Amino acid sequence: MTNPFEHRRPTELEDKAHAEAVRHFAEHLNQFPASREMVERLERDADKIALAANMAAAKPTPKENVIQADDGRQWHKSVDLMENIHFCHRPISYGAEYAVVEHFPARGANEIWNRGWNAVEVLKAFAQEQRQALQIWTDDVSAQVREFLSEKFPGQDLSRVADAFIHKCATQAVSPKNTLTHGHQQNHSRGVRI
Amino acid sequence: MEPIPKTEEQPAATPAERLAYSVQESADMLGVNYFSVYRLIQRGKLKVCRALRGKLLVPRAELLKLLATE
Repeated sequence: MTNPFEHRRPTELEDKAHAEAVRHFAEHLNQFPASREMVERLERDADKIALAANMAAAKPTPKENVIQADDGRQWHKSVDLMENIHFCHRPISYGAEYAVVEHFPARGANEIWNRGWNAVEVLKAFAQEQRQALQIWTDDVSAQVREFLSEKFPGQDLSRVADAFIHKCATQAVSPKNTLTHGHQQNHSRGVRI
Repeated sequence: MEPIPKTEEQPAATPAERLAYSVQESADMLGVNYFSVYRLIQRGKLKVCRALRGKLLVPRAELLKLLATE
């Protein structure tokens, strides 16, 4: 998706609508880029994370890092992937089994997302699912922004604003202070095509 | 003057329970971040429906089911 304001500057109304959407969906704009970066890091560093887990599996695990998952087995935390999500291993007679385990505070449970004997494969499968989850998030935010704009500015065609909002959300961290005009100028001054 | 007889106190009206919640509300109720809710949806752990413009809604029953799952 390209920035819909790349070739034609936003109108005053579009600029105002964008600023309001940014204010209203500030929490999404804070969380989405951070989650996207986590997934990108996971995809990029799967080999390194797997190596760290392999090394952790070769050493004794401190007691506080041993958790019981929903399969009833004890897992050893190797690497923290995201908030409340850990890459874990479980010693077995001929090596180790690996799993991505999420802790749900509301239930006090540890749920296994992916598991297998090959650490890299487990991480890649998890990363792929996170990509799909990001896409669901993008689609949902897009629908929410369109709903918000149509209620706030009834009868106006602000589809370019919604598209620009999603574009920013999906490609960069956005400060709530940014406006379309500022973002537009900055991108051109850097000579970056977005 | 005769005292006015006390009427039996009525319990405070509770707000009607909603049938569904947005992802943001669901995240708040579950005590997780947005991404966790979208991951649960991706995994099929939370079944969702779509409002008219495509916005995702999580049925209350799904949230309760998830919390009750052991």
